[in-house]
Amino acid sequence: MTLVQDGQSTRGSSAKLIARVASALLVFALAGCNGGTVDKHALKRDAEKVGSLATEGELMANDVSKGASTKYFVRVHAKELSGAAADFEDSLAKRPTSPGIASDVRKLSKLAGKVSRELEQLHLHPTDRNVATSLKQPLLDDADAADKLAK
Amino acid sequence: MKIFQIALGILAAIGGFVDIGDLVFNVSAGATFGYQLLWVIVIGVVGIIVYSEMCGRVATVSGKAVFDAVRERLGFRTGLAALVSAQVVNLMTLTAEIGGVAICLQLLSALPYRLLILLAGIVLAIVVWTTSFDWIERVFGYGGLCLLVFAVAAVKLHPSWSAVAHGFVPHVPTQSPVLYAYFAVGLLGAAMTPYEVYFYSSGAVEEQWGPKDLGLNKANAMIGYGLGGFLSLALMIVGGALFLPKGIEPEFLGSIALTAQVPLGQIGLLLALVGILFAVGGAAIDTMFSGAYNLAQFLGWEWGRYRSNSGAPRFTATWLVLLVLGLGLVMTGIDPVQLTEYAVIFSSVALPLTYIPILLVANDRSYMRQYVNGRLANTLGLFYLVVIVVVALAAVPLLILTNAGQN
Repeated sequence: MTLVQDGQSTRGSSAKLIARVASALLVFALAGCNGGTVDKHALKRDAEKVGSLATEGELMANDVSKGASTKYFVRVHAKELSGAAADFEDSLAKRPTSPGIASDVRKLSKLAGKVSRELEQLHLHPTDRNVATSLKQPLLDDADAADKLAK
Repeated sequence: MKIFQIALGILAAIGGFVDIGDLVFNVSAGATFGYQLLWVIVIGVVGIIVYSEMCGRVATVSGKAVFDAVRERLGFRTGLAALVSAQVVNLMTLTAEIGGVAICLQLLSALPYRLLILLAGIVLAIVVWTTSFDWIERVFGYGGLCLLVFAVAAVKLHPSWSAVAHGFVPHVPTQSPVLYAYFAVGLLGAAMTPYEVYFYSSGAVEEQWGPKDLGLNKANAMIGYGLGGFLSLALMIVGGALFLPKGIEPEFLGSIALTAQVPLGQIGLLLALVGILFAVGGAAIDTMFSGAYNLAQFLGWEWGRYRSNSGAPRFTATWLVLLVLGLGLVMTGIDPVQLTEYAVIFSSVALPLTYIPILLVANDRSYMRQYVNGRLANTLGLFYLVVIVVVALAAVPLLILTNAGQN
């Protein structure tokens, strides 16, 4: 078999492969930057994500209200969700927007802040069924509000 | 005991199929497309069974693991390119898995993340240093079986079984076909991720399988990877049943555990977290060993856990260095879930460099004697080679076009 020859013939393609991986790594690095102008599409995506965080928070609050979760899990996961919502609040408040959607973008920023604060309550009171019960409806309302902004 | 003899396949599959990135990726696929991508998992599972059986057979008959074949069949320079790409992906994945272990411990204890990273690193080092290969695969492989809780959760969430059945029929959706293709490529890449076969074939040598163990090799490949695929299916179904109707986009490991908590309560949550801990810990060991196996085999060093730590000093030093590098990287605060998703896509690019040499060696009668590939193995092997090349070519463009699945 002449398999080493096969290996020689693939040297050029391996160099291309390395170049492709390197350019993809560059894209990877650039993708980490959460900047840029918020256009309609970005507003829709961010609203969907804020709505997702609120809905997931409601799901967790519902389980806490039934005593169906654990203290440590709720404390940690609610903090993760709260932190993600706070990131949206910050970035949407600062980023430039396309004409005509500035008001919706700022609304979404405020909504993300509200979601973040509600999830923070869950983080601070991970076993308090009353707190969890009181958070369910507001989080559902937040998800609905985000859904409207996404449309 | 017979049940212990399939531990290698189970650990390789659980570590490969349901590591931190796959857990999130599978549930995300379900949350985005419901059950429409189930067929891709089936294709991926059959592919990894075909190639694992092949490389296990090569290791069993010739005593040579994957990177022995890569070096011999691709020549030094192309082999070196394969080694470098494999090691980069291994290190990315190892970093993510160490982070995953720490996240899981944090969800169980609420202790500080960085402290838990250190603890995870120390425990992994002690376990690997002091424990035999057999017991590593048993503890992490069978511990990972707690993930079966997701299969129970899938049933308890009452999915539409007719929609689930429809998901096994290959099709392309009219909405978001590019995003769909991104998930399909990611799922195939994850199912056939190269470190599974590096670990599996080297494990066959570790266990000193001989030709009499060829049946065991088949059983390991089919049962182990079949189980891994079953868990992937369950994860996609819980994503489709729980998250899709509510519009939830899971991005955290905690979100995955939530899919077991909602239908099963605390016990579901705890089983899910313990299962994830063992699966992710197993994946960390898979990748750490794979990195050491690859380098040692490529450079012709003594290797293997069946030797003492001092009996294969460069192999031992390699996995220790990889562990320290992974710890250092995850300490920088890099997001383990995102990292491993990128690792899956990048490993897709390197797939042909791993699988072509296996197919070549499995057809070489001077190595394999009467155990060369039969017609079925070659037909499937060639079919999957085409699939792998398509995946390798499509992976990076789809990553860019979909902004890593975010668009």
